[in-house]
Amino acid sequence: MVTVDGLKPKAVEKPKTAEALAARLSQATRAGEAVIPVGGGRALGMGDPPARFDLALVTTALDRIVDVSPADLTATVQAGVTLEALQAELGKARQFLPLDPFGSPGHTIGGLLATAWSGPLRQRYGTPREFLVGLQVALPDGRLARSGGRVVKNVSGYDLNKLHFGALGSLGVITEASFKVFPRPLFEETVEASEAQFADAWREARRALELKMPPVALELLREPDRHRLVARFAGSEDGVRRMVRELVWAPVAEADFWQDHSRRRADRWVRVAVPPEALRDVLHSLPEAARWWAHPGVGVAYWVDFEAGQVAAVRAAAEAAGGSAVLVAAPPAMKRELGAWGRQPATIELMRRVKKAFDPAGTLSPGRYVV
Amino acid sequence: MGLGPRTLEKLRRAVGRDHVVWDAYDLVIFERDASITGALPDAIVYPANAEEVAAVLEIAAEQQLPVVPRGAGTGLSGGAVTLHGGLALSLARFRRIIEIDPKGRTALVEPGVVNYDLGLEAARHGLFYAPDPSSQKACTIGGNAAENSGGPHCLYYGVTTNHILGMEVVLSDGSVHWVGGEDPDQPGLDLLGVLVGSEGTLAVITKLRVKLLPTPEAVSTLMAAFPSIESASKAVSDVIGHGIVPAALEMMDKVTIGAVEAHYKAGYPTSAGAVLLVEVDGLTESARELTAAIEQILEMDEAFEIRVAEDPAERELLWAGRKGAIGALGHIKPNYYLHDGVVPRTRLPEVLREVGRIGEHYRLPVANVFHAGDGNLHPNILFDLREKGIMKKVEKAGEEMLRACIDAGGTLSGEHGIGLEKNAFMPWIFGPDDLAAMQAVKDVLDPSGRLNPGKIFPPAGQIEPKLIARSGVASEARWW
Ligand SMILES: Cc1cc2nc3c(=O)[nH]c(=O)nc-3n(C[C@H](O)[C@H](O)[C@H](O)COP(=O)(O)OP(=O)(O)OC[C@H]3O[C@@H](n4cnc5c(N)ncnc54)[C@H](O)[C@@H]3O)c2cc1C
Ligand SMILES: Cc1cc2nc3c(=O)[nH]c(=O)nc-3n(C[C@H](O)[C@H](O)[C@H](O)COP(=O)(O)OP(=O)(O)OC[C@H]3O[C@@H](n4cnc5c(N)ncnc54)[C@H](O)[C@@H]3O)c2cc1C
Repeated sequence: MVTVDGLKPKAVEKPKTAEALAARLSQATRAGEAVIPVGGGRALGMGDPPARFDLALVTTALDRIVDVSPADLTATVQAGVTLEALQAELGKARQFLPLDPFGSPGHTIGGLLATAWSGPLRQRYGTPREFLVGLQVALPDGRLARSGGRVVKNVSGYDLNKLHFGALGSLGVITEASFKVFPRPLFEETVEASEAQFADAWREARRALELKMPPVALELLREPDRHRLVARFAGSEDGVRRMVRELVWAPVAEADFWQDHSRRRADRWVRVAVPPEALRDVLHSLPEAARWWAHPGVGVAYWVDFEAGQVAAVRAAAEAAGGSAVLVAAPPAMKRELGAWGRQPATIELMRRVKKAFDPAGTLSPGRYVV
Repeated sequence: MGLGPRTLEKLRRAVGRDHVVWDAYDLVIFERDASITGALPDAIVYPANAEEVAAVLEIAAEQQLPVVPRGAGTGLSGGAVTLHGGLALSLARFRRIIEIDPKGRTALVEPGVVNYDLGLEAARHGLFYAPDPSSQKACTIGGNAAENSGGPHCLYYGVTTNHILGMEVVLSDGSVHWVGGEDPDQPGLDLLGVLVGSEGTLAVITKLRVKLLPTPEAVSTLMAAFPSIESASKAVSDVIGHGIVPAALEMMDKVTIGAVEAHYKAGYPTSAGAVLLVEVDGLTESARELTAAIEQILEMDEAFEIRVAEDPAERELLWAGRKGAIGALGHIKPNYYLHDGVVPRTRLPEVLREVGRIGEHYRLPVANVFHAGDGNLHPNILFDLREKGIMKKVEKAGEEMLRACIDAGGTLSGEHGIGLEKNAFMPWIFGPDDLAAMQAVKDVLDPSGRLNPGKIFPPAGQIEPKLIARSGVASEARWW
């Protein structure tokens, strides 16, 4: 059953083609219905509680891997394909999409792009913003619009891929996406260290990031009695071994730390995102017993299992540092009280004009996103 | 058309008396960029900061004048050409590197800063700015952002859009905004991502915050000579197929090699059908390991000569040949028309064959010098403009070459932009609905349509792709 913040739609539909989805969307627009796109249905709690919800458009029947071309390092999939299905296909040629989102498995590609949800590997590869090369999107008036293409390099026309990435389905429903993919690293090794004091842990993190070949992922995790650092190195074997020697951390305890880590989930979840240099102070402002983990090189931290009363101070610190603290998951009442997104961006008026141009009737996810 | 004295006076008040130019003789300097068409502006204005840009845009709004931003004018798709007259808005006075933040590894720069100069300044902090167009000694960071430019090292490091964190921009209504920033995951729509690559049609960029990267510990450059383009193309696919993405992977064909050797003596064997330049960087161990692996692959693929640069001087020389190739081709013919299609890299051999066939058909020499790793072709048609009626042939040949790229599943431009050169071909790759979505963004950010009109979008009413009638364009190639 699909519900978004406790709200049930009048109808749930699962179109089998992009064309059918677009047609249904335009019908909804004409009928004045409110539509929320649904992928795996795992992150529907992101955003403010919807103002209205008439139709859930489920993308999971758009589950075709359209094209995988190992020698071109490209892949094109429909929006309802799960990340695991795509990775399995790419894995056959020792390639992968460098995306390891929390809350795995089960994410659909459409949901991942709409939420800009990512994981530790963004330290090296960035988010899909950096390797998404093409999109097909169903717009509220029923048109199917493409941007970009299937080749790895392309400056033909405006880069509308970026407009839809992270827009939480507020401008259109993603039906297909093309990516630049990557060869799997030749060699990998993961090491860890622990520090009692936060300041020492932060210094160790900096040291790892300043190595001549920094880790492809670096996590700083607040655990009950320690600050734990975990670094993942990837590259040529000799190079990785030298970095590990220079860092002098210990081999990681778990057999597959990264898989366990990507399966983390929680009912209450804040994402703090600030300029990387400012993260240290913002982490410092978190309550003493807070549970969190962070990408120190990226400027992002995830804080889970908090109380409503604790959020305002952290959000104020993040915003003062020029960033944000977003409630990515929380009970609807808490989101109503605090607002999911925090301070409005300075360019909100421009964003609203873009939203209005794409979705003049307000069909898509009304009330949920920033615009 | 010419501007009235009142308008000129307003402009002079906005940017200073010395910073408005309208003398017919001076306007000619801004008639063209590095592409093959030109048109005269009515005046050139040189504002010095965002407020002055805003004032200029407000005057232009009042007078309904088109405004075309201009960096160094090295663009190859006519982006900086004032197709409909109006104001050429030069960013030449925006040339400060405001700040380099070595800790955060970013720089705050004005758009008129030359790409190479930012590189020099960054190097003093052990850092570098990754996008490296071959024109980097002249082109500006603002122009790079407007075109989303690439360069040889973008294979590994990504293109300009991957290296811009934020920008200050002025919209055609004169409003000033900051888009993007140093904090990741910003709530809201990614306006920065859309503005990069918008070719001066959505906003004037007045400041940029860019990423810098630490200089790699080791760099290894190797040159490999092949009997044919086919064997070199296969080698490109094989290197990537082995899971190696080098920092750069460039190809030059026989015509180019000949011209480069005559001029630079870069050491490319003139008997070769094609030469590859491959560069890997990173840790000393990694560079060594990868170089050895690449050498092995290239040898299996019929490379008959492989040379690894022994020292920085030798590396510089190998690159000088590549980066100066376009100039060196002037030895063959005085004029060139450089194309910029992209194909899936596996389709390179067949598309290059087709490009060669088209050149022969029109009896035009074609030189290929390009970013092979990305499948980004640069067929360069060489000609002498003094030959009567040659332009028609050159344009026709260019159009057919682009068509061959599209037919192979590729795209119109990998880095030089659409501008007025390829806007007529946009319907080859985008349907009316795709273009309408782009137009919606244009209408929001530049409702008046005054910023750089006649670029990117196909001419109004055009259904079938065709070259724009160039007769309306001023003084074609008079200045070559
Ligand atoms: C705040 C937050 C908390 C999370 N917590 C958990 C958790 O506790 N447990 C867990 O397992 N995972 C969690 N995740 C991970 C979540 O699964 C990812 O965000 C994932 O990308 C969602 O994929 P999905 O296919 O399930 O998308 P969905 O949950 O179905 O959709 C996510 C959002 O994207 C929109 N959307 C979906 N498909 C499209 C499309 N094709 N086009 C346009 N918009 C679309 C939806 O309207 C919705 O707003 C969390 C993520 C977030 C952001
Ligand atoms: C020999 C040669 C080699 C080249 N090699 C490469 C290469 O390897 N890779 C590559 O990508 N390109 C290459 N180019 C093309 C060109 O150098 C790039 O497109 C470059 O980025 C243009 O910069 P510019 O400062 O000269 O911009 P201009 O040519 O002045 O302008 C280009 C476009 O940007 C707009 N613009 C300029 N400044 C601003 C601003 N501040 N705000 C808003 N819009 C603005 C203009 O309106 C125009 O549409 C080459 C060109 C030549 C002549």
